[in-house]
Amino acid sequence: MEKLALTTNSRARKPASAGGAHNALAADLTRLLGPRKVLSNLSERLNYRYDAIQFGATPLAVVLPESTEDVVAAVRAARAAGVPIVGRGAASGLSGGAAPTEPGLVISFTRMTRLTIHPDRREAQAQAGVITLAVSDAARPHGLIYPPDPASFRTSTIGGNLAENAGGPMCFKYGVTGDYVRALSFVDADGELHHVTRDAFDLAGLLIGSEGTLGLITEATLRLIPPATHTRTLMAHFPEVGACAEAVSAAIAAGAVPSKLEFMDRACTNAVEDYLNLGLPRGAEAVLLVDTDGDDLDTVQDELQLVADACERAGGTVRRAATDAEGAALWRARRSVSPALGRIRPQRMNEDIVVPRSALPDVVREIRALGDASPFRLVQFGHIGDGNLHPNILFDPRKEDTHAVHDLAHEIALVALRHGGVLSGEHGIGSMKRDFMTDAVDPGTLKALWNVKRALDPHLALNPGKILPAEGVDG
Amino acid sequence: MNNDIPVQTLGGQGEVMAHAVDACVHCGFCLPACPTYALLGDEMDSPRGRIVLMKEVLEGGLPLMDAAPHLDRCLGCQACVTACPSGVPYGELITAFRGWSEPQRQRSPFDRAKRAAILKILPAPKVFSVAARLGQFAKPLAPVLPAALRSPLDLLPEHVPAMQPSADFTPARGVRRGRVAFLVGCAQQALTPNFNAATLRVLSRNGIEVVIPDGQGCCGAAALHTGARDEALKLVRANLNAFNPDDFDAILSNAAGCGAGLKEYPMVLHGESDEARAQAFAAKVMDISEYLGGLLADGTLEPTLPASRPLKVAYHDACHLAHAQGVRAQPRDLLRAIPGVTVLEIPEGDLCCGSAGTYNLEQPELATQLGERKAKNILSTHPDLIASGNIGCHTQIQSHVRRQGDRAPVMHTIEILDLAYRGEL
Ligand SMILES: Cc1cc2nc3c(=O)[nH]c(=O)nc-3n(C[C@H](O)[C@H](O)[C@H](O)COP(=O)(O)OP(=O)(O)OC[C@H]3O[C@@H](n4cnc5c(N)ncnc54)[C@H](O)[C@@H]3O)c2cc1C
Ligand code: SF4
Ligand code: SF4
Repeated sequence: MEKLALTTNSRARKPASAGGAHNALAADLTRLLGPRKVLSNLSERLNYRYDAIQFGATPLAVVLPESTEDVVAAVRAARAAGVPIVGRGAASGLSGGAAPTEPGLVISFTRMTRLTIHPDRREAQAQAGVITLAVSDAARPHGLIYPPDPASFRTSTIGGNLAENAGGPMCFKYGVTGDYVRALSFVDADGELHHVTRDAFDLAGLLIGSEGTLGLITEATLRLIPPATHTRTLMAHFPEVGACAEAVSAAIAAGAVPSKLEFMDRACTNAVEDYLNLGLPRGAEAVLLVDTDGDDLDTVQDELQLVADACERAGGTVRRAATDAEGAALWRARRSVSPALGRIRPQRMNEDIVVPRSALPDVVREIRALGDASPFRLVQFGHIGDGNLHPNILFDPRKEDTHAVHDLAHEIALVALRHGGVLSGEHGIGSMKRDFMTDAVDPGTLKALWNVKRALDPHLALNPGKILPAEGVDG
Repeated sequence: MNNDIPVQTLGGQGEVMAHAVDACVHCGFCLPACPTYALLGDEMDSPRGRIVLMKEVLEGGLPLMDAAPHLDRCLGCQACVTACPSGVPYGELITAFRGWSEPQRQRSPFDRAKRAAILKILPAPKVFSVAARLGQFAKPLAPVLPAALRSPLDLLPEHVPAMQPSADFTPARGVRRGRVAFLVGCAQQALTPNFNAATLRVLSRNGIEVVIPDGQGCCGAAALHTGARDEALKLVRANLNAFNPDDFDAILSNAAGCGAGLKEYPMVLHGESDEARAQAFAAKVMDISEYLGGLLADGTLEPTLPASRPLKVAYHDACHLAHAQGVRAQPRDLLRAIPGVTVLEIPEGDLCCGSAGTYNLEQPELATQLGERKAKNILSTHPDLIASGNIGCHTQIQSHVRRQGDRAPVMHTIEILDLAYRGEL
């Protein structure tokens, strides 16, 4: 869909105080790209300083590119002005990635939405601003789907997914975004355009998950697959969170490879129930959602049975979705967990740890205990099949101590590291978890990361203040 | 969302606004639901962006006139409310904000006159009827008029019917099973009197007696949503005086926009002396399809005669029914209850048709884009009939469907039911 522009040649009103660009950079960009692609009024720029977790610095200018050439021009102008550049998709990120740490240029990809499906090659060619769900929607008539399915897939962009290496419920069986990228194009810090594939020197792999700190992704070639013919869904609920984790471990040990395995605790279930009113078990301490899929119905059902048995042995109550619609409703419930938590407290600190599956029962119990001992509401959910957990600390910054929130988040991160886990499964490090990097990565490795960063971004202009802890600058 | 909105100085409406801003976690789930975001692709014209803009203005960090163009483009369709898992009452926020900000707006004399005229004409059915007929004669002038005047003319039906005042009391047919009060609406009475006539017939047929209380007037939604809070309050209070909720099983409206407006009364009067009265009133308010849907669910709705031939009906969700009132299933169920009728789902069904109150007058460019898109989506289902439950959608859809060269009748859900009862469908 071509985006309308309400600008100079339009009858619609611009703000009365819109006297044009407010600084040299904005003026320069407007001259280069024309007014419809450049935002310079305060009212416009104020809206490009946040993502789904954080507010950052107000940018000096915002560019809404419509082509790769626009991106190149914008990057060159920002470099000439010596200001930092932050790429932005739908700003649904949960680690502060798209929130600028200092005033500069924001390049927002929401109008770069060209998408072509090549059914013969089982590929999609998508510009960075294509909405994730749109890829599957466009591929489906050709008998294909695009499996990576972050809970934000109706909103988030392919560019943002690549930059965060986003995962989702399907990733347990089908893998994360990076597993579906065949090639990508990116613009580097000097405004050079590159096309890279996944061959011998996997530079594409380096860009994936780099959170906009190494280059700006403009386009990607994505792998598509045929969907499984049969899918079956079950929900199990448990009187205790650890029991849910035990059921997951047992089911997988027994040989089940569900396509989706998701968990939410009591607070999550209740927040979602307040929103969707589906009749979820409000009293249960943990709810597990499971899909099995495949082309042979018997196998799919056998597999579901394996999971059901494991759940029951762990003390759970199992309910199978009677219809596809019921299954779809349950998954909508799961996707709504994160924002529905806003009903409990206005602000949250969102963790995104991954731990070995064998450690899951201990980890969820330890985190539960940390939460119970703290003055905060702590909730957990996640792609438990991968060992990916999202403990969230809910708080009200006007009434509660934000330093204490940060400390509790740090303790949770340490639990994960102690059990052989990592800091981020899919949401990235951003600015939220940057401080914890020194706990997770040894100094030598951090130095190597800085060397890579400097090689691709010598002026440290791309998304500064993200991922790498500041002390590394000197090291 | 963290904020420093000075609630102490803003009063009841300040609380309403601060609560909504608080509740937003800026997750962006609402973005794909928003029609203006779909057209413009920028954050300022998205729900999340507008919430931030309103917060900034209320906190004093941004001049109102800078935020205004983006807030003015909001249709008030509340698709963002349906999409929001955090339960942000965006509709209350934008309504309260418009009421608070309108007195501070700098508007051109032309703008002012236009708004004053709309607010004078809309709530007065007789005046509206005259104006509509005058407008009808002005139609041939349309090509030479500025867009702001042209688009409302485009929306006028080719034939503006004569006013048909409804009887104050319609008895129940057969055994009396209920007693309801009915809000007759304003513009709708003039443009499509058959909506009300059909409503009275269908209710009566179902053993429901209908009272049209004296002294009622416009619901006030148009005034409220354009920020004319004082005028709105007058209308709200007049209706609170006219309808005594204790006397009726329900207070019915057959216009989604008005129904949603009536249900907003407690919010409008939040923190004021009439708040409790408004709550008692709003608790009884129902859309006609909600009420009849209840009878259907109880198994007590009178069965209709079958349609004379298989009919495919594309049902359009009016924003103020689906998003603002959460009424989606009932109108579809009612249509499906007519033997021979199949209900078709419209692609991008949640996207506003662009009519939204005075939007055609205020934002003709976007309104037209949305109208065209809606008509295209509807026609892609190849319907025999198009149904909706709101006068605004009705005129907008009819006009754009005709412009795309299709003659499928556009009707109110209740008109279709009425025809079925009479064996004329
Ligand atoms: C309710 C909710 C649920 C979520 N669930 C999941 C989930 O299940 N799994 C998951 O993985 N994530 C999830 N997320 C997080 C988020 O949606 C993902 O990280 C997503 O990939 C971000 O995409 P975006 O387009 O919104 O990117 P943004 O938030 O705009 O940006 C994210 C990062 O990518 C960078 N970036 C954006 N576009 C480009 C580009 N073209 N080139 C280079 N860098 C770029 C930005 O600088 C930033 O660092 C969820 C978020 C929300 C709000
Ligand atoms: S979906 Fe709700 S919480 Fe999320 S940004 Fe929109 S209004 Fe805010
Ligand atoms: S009310 Fe409609 S137009 Fe306004 S922000 Fe919400 S979705 Fe967008």
